[in-house]
Amino acid sequence: MRDILTVAKFTAKDLIGRKSFRISTIIILALIFVGSNIPNIIKFFSQDDSSQTTAIVDRDNLYEGTLTELPTEEHIEVSQASDEELKQKIQDGDLKNAIIIHKTGNTVEFRYLVKNLVTAGIETTNLKTQLEALYKDVQLQKLHLSATELAAISPHFAVSMEQTDEAQIGGNIYAMMILSCVLFFAIYFCAFQVSSSITTEKTSKIVETLVTSTSPKSIIYGKTLGIGVVGLLQILLFVVTAIICAYCFMDHQMLEQLFDLSNFTPYLAIVTLIYFLPGYFVYAFLYALTGSTVSKPEDIQSANTPVVLLTMIGFYLAYFTLTDPTGGLNFFAALFPFSSPFCMPLRVMMGLSSIGEVLLSIGLLIFTCIIVAHIATRIYSNAILNYGSKMGWKNIIKLYKEK
Amino acid sequence: MSLKLENVSKSFANKLAVDRVSFTLEKPGVFGLLGTNGAGKTTTIRMLLGIINKDSGEITWDNHPVDRKTVNFGYLPEERGVYPKTKIFDQLMYFAELKGMDKVAATKSIQEWAKKLKVEEYLDMLAEKLSKGNQQKIQFMTAVIHDPDLVVLDEPFSGLDPVNTELIRDLIVELVNRGKYIIMSAHQMATIEEFCENILILNRGKTVLQGNLDNIKASYPANRLKINVHVDIKEYLQKYHLIIENQAGHNYILKLQDEAIAQKLLSDLIKHQINLDKFEIMKPTLNDIFIEKVGAQNA
Repeated sequence: MRDILTVAKFTAKDLIGRKSFRISTIIILALIFVGSNIPNIIKFFSQDDSSQTTAIVDRDNLYEGTLTELPTEEHIEVSQASDEELKQKIQDGDLKNAIIIHKTGNTVEFRYLVKNLVTAGIETTNLKTQLEALYKDVQLQKLHLSATELAAISPHFAVSMEQTDEAQIGGNIYAMMILSCVLFFAIYFCAFQVSSSITTEKTSKIVETLVTSTSPKSIIYGKTLGIGVVGLLQILLFVVTAIICAYCFMDHQMLEQLFDLSNFTPYLAIVTLIYFLPGYFVYAFLYALTGSTVSKPEDIQSANTPVVLLTMIGFYLAYFTLTDPTGGLNFFAALFPFSSPFCMPLRVMMGLSSIGEVLLSIGLLIFTCIIVAHIATRIYSNAILNYGSKMGWKNIIKLYKEK
Repeated sequence: MSLKLENVSKSFANKLAVDRVSFTLEKPGVFGLLGTNGAGKTTTIRMLLGIINKDSGEITWDNHPVDRKTVNFGYLPEERGVYPKTKIFDQLMYFAELKGMDKVAATKSIQEWAKKLKVEEYLDMLAEKLSKGNQQKIQFMTAVIHDPDLVVLDEPFSGLDPVNTELIRDLIVELVNRGKYIIMSAHQMATIEEFCENILILNRGKTVLQGNLDNIKASYPANRLKINVHVDIKEYLQKYHLIIENQAGHNYILKLQDEAIAQKLLSDLIKHQINLDKFEIMKPTLNDIFIEKVGAQNA
C-alpha cells in the first residue's frame, strides 16, 4: 500500500508539473469563462438600441392607431416615413429593418425592408404572427360581438402532455446531457493519461529500474490512483468554475429554464462519484494494458484504438438510448459495465432505477474492474520489458499465458 | 550472507534463453558475468532480481528465495533511463522511498552520493538538461542510494569519459570495502579483470566457463612474450621462429607457442649481452580466453 501511495504521489506531481497539462487546464478554464460570457459579449457589441429597432409603417391605416399596443418584446417604432427615408435609416444603422403594411384588394401585404436578405432575422416571423393577431382583433371589434361570441371565435388553446410509459420520468435533458459528457470527458481523458504515462516510462527506459524498485501491481495501481485523483480534481475545478461563471455572468432565469437542477440530489451526486471511480479504473487498467504493449509514443494511438472504440461504444450506447430511457437497450446500457458509468447516473436522475438495480450495476462494474486489473497487471508484468514494434493481440494473449 | 543460483533456466517461445546456470557469491566482492550480446546475461540478471520468473532452478539469498522484499538490492540496468521532465532530486527521492527509505534518510543519502559523484549542482535540474554521462551517474546513484546489500551493475562504464570512469571505479571499490556483493556485467574484459575474483561466461544461454579468474588464467598456457630492449633483436626472433604481434620501436609483443622457447631466447639474449628493460612471459588475457570460448561459436 505504501508503494502504491508513493507511485500515486509521484505520478500526480509529475502530471501536474507537465506544461501540457497546465496549459490545457488554463485553456479549458478560459473557454468556460468566455463561454459563460458569450451573451454579455454579444450584448457589449450591440449596445446601440436604434439598430435593434423595427419600424412599422401602416400606409392604409389598417390598424387604426393600435400598433403602439402591439404585444411584442421586439423593439418597434411606428413610423410614417417614406420608403427612401426608411432605406437610408437601415443603411445608416439607425433601424434594424422595417415592415410596410398596405392592402391590395383582399390581401394585406407585409413588405419587409432589410439591410441584407441573408442576415435578416427570424424575428420578422414573430412580428408577422403578432401583427396578424392584432389586425384580427381590430376587425372583430368592428363587428361588435358579445363576449360569448368572441370566446367562441377565439377560445384559449391549452396544451398538455401525458406519457404512455408507466414509469414516471423526471430530470432535465440538458442537465443529463452535460452530466453524461462530463463523465465521458473525465473517464476517457484521465484513463488515457495512464497509457501515456506507462509508454513514456518505457520510452525513457526508466521502467527497468522501476520494476526492480516495486511490484508491477503497485506501479499500475499507483499510476491509476494518482492520475485519477488529479483528473477528479481537474474536473471538479472545471465544474466549480462553470457554476461560479454561470451564476456570475449568465441570466439566472434562462439558466433555471435550461438546467433544472432540482433533480440533482445528494444521492445522485454520490452515485455519480461512485460510478466515476470504478468506471475510470476499468478504462484506466485497459489503457495501462495497451500502454505496456508499445515502446514508442507514436504507437500509442493505434494501440489504444480498441479501447477508444470500447469507450465510444459505451458512451454512445448510454447517450443515444437516452431518447428511450424506459426501453430495454437503455436498461442494458445501465448494467453493461463499459456503458453503465455513463448511463446509470442519468437513469438515477430520471428516477428510473431502483437501489437494487444500482447495486447490481455497481457490482458488475466492480467485478469487471477487478478482472481487468488482474489481466492488465499480468500483461504489464510480462510486456513492460519488451521493446520493439507494437504487439498484436496474439502476442498479448501469449504474454498473458506466460508465467 | 551468500547468493546462490542453482540450475536456473528460462525459455522464451520455446527458445532456451538461459540453460541451467549456477553460480555462488559467498563473500563480498565483484562477480563478473560475461557473454556476447544475446548470451543470456540480462535474462539471468532479470531472473535474479525477480523482474521475470524463472522456469526452473533455485535462486537464494542466505538460503531464502530471492524476492524484492527479502533482498535489499540495487540495479543499474544496461538500458539507461531517467524521467526527463522531472527534477533529479525528486526522482532520486521517489526511488529511495520505493526502496523503503524515509525522507530524512533519503535526503541525507542523496546529498552524500551527489557529493561523491560530483553532481550536487544538478539536483534541482530537470534530467533532460543533463549530459548522458551525468544521467548515468544519476542512475548509478539510484542503484546505491538505499545502501543495498547486493548491487547488480550492467555495463557500468559504457558511455563514460575517463574521468567519470575513474570516479565510478573508485566507488565500486568503496562498495566492496563496505562489504557489498556486486554482480557486474561488462564487455570490457580489462574492467572485469581489474575487479572480479570470480567470473562466469555465457554463450547462447549456456555456461561455457566459470570459476576463479586467477585459476582460470593459470590453467591456460602462456601465449605471449613481451620484450623491451634498446637494440634490434629481429635476428634472434627469426632464429626462434617467433611471430611479432605488435611492435613499437624496440618494444615487442610476440606470439608464443611454447614457454621453453622463451627461456632459450632469454639465455641467448643474456649470452650476447643485450640489455633487457623487460622480458615477460604473458598469460592469456581474459579477452583471449573469452574469444577462444565464445568467438568461434559466434563467428
